[in-house]
Amino acid sequence: MKSKTQALLLTLNVLAWLAFFGFIIKGGAILVSYGVSVRNPVGAKNLYMGWNLSALREYDFWHYSGVVYMRVLLLFLQAYIAFLVTKVLSKIKLANPFSIEVSNLMERISYFMLATWVVVMLHNSHIGWLAKTLPFMQENYISGEFIFLAGVVFVIAQVFKKGVEIQTENELTV
Amino acid sequence: MPIVVNLDVMMAKRKMSLNELSEKVDLTLANLSILKTGKAKAIRFSTLEAICKALDCQPGDILEYTKK
Repeated sequence: MKSKTQALLLTLNVLAWLAFFGFIIKGGAILVSYGVSVRNPVGAKNLYMGWNLSALREYDFWHYSGVVYMRVLLLFLQAYIAFLVTKVLSKIKLANPFSIEVSNLMERISYFMLATWVVVMLHNSHIGWLAKTLPFMQENYISGEFIFLAGVVFVIAQVFKKGVEIQTENELTV
Repeated sequence: MPIVVNLDVMMAKRKMSLNELSEKVDLTLANLSILKTGKAKAIRFSTLEAICKALDCQPGDILEYTKK
C-alpha cells in the first residue's frame, strides 16, 4: 500500500515537472515569437501552434502586446505553481506526512492560483472588449476555474496545518 | 506552560538515573527526556502511573501548577 502511494507520488512529481517545463517552453516560445513580431509583423501570424494575432498587431500594437504579455504572464504563473507542486511532492514523507513546510507551500499555491485567476479575468475581459470592438478578433477565453482550485487548495492547506498540530502533539505525548 | 514537570527533582530525591527510570517504566530515553525538559504536550495516565510506581511518589510530586 505504502509503496503504491510512493509510486503515485513519484509519478505525480514527474508529471508536475513535465507541466513546469511545458509551461516554461510555451511561455518562452511565445515571447520569442513576440520579439520577432516586434520587428517583423509576419511573426504575429503564428505566435505559438497557430495562434494568429496578426490582425490585432496591425490594428493596435499596444493591445497586441497586452494580450501577449498577459498570456505569457499566465503561463509563467502556471509554471511557478507546477514548480511549487513538485516541491510539495518531493517534501511529503509518508512516515510523517504533515509538516509545516508542506502546509506553507500549499497555502502559497492557493495564493498563486488566486493571482492566476485575477490575471485570467483581466485577460478575458480584455479579449471580450476587443471582440466587441473588433469584428476580426477571435474570442479565445481561458477558463476561470482557478478560483475554485485556489479555494480547494487553501482548505486542504488549512486541514494540513491542523494535521501538523495534531502530529506534533502526538509526538510530544509521553 | 503553567504546568511544571518536577521529574528531575523526584529522580534526585530517589537517587535514580534516567537510564534506570527508563528501564523501570519501559519508556525510551528520548521520551523521558522530552518529559524531563518540559517539552511534553501531554502525558498518558499509564506513563504517570508507571513513573509514580517507580519513584514511589504521587502525581502531584511530579506535576506542579504555577501561575505565570
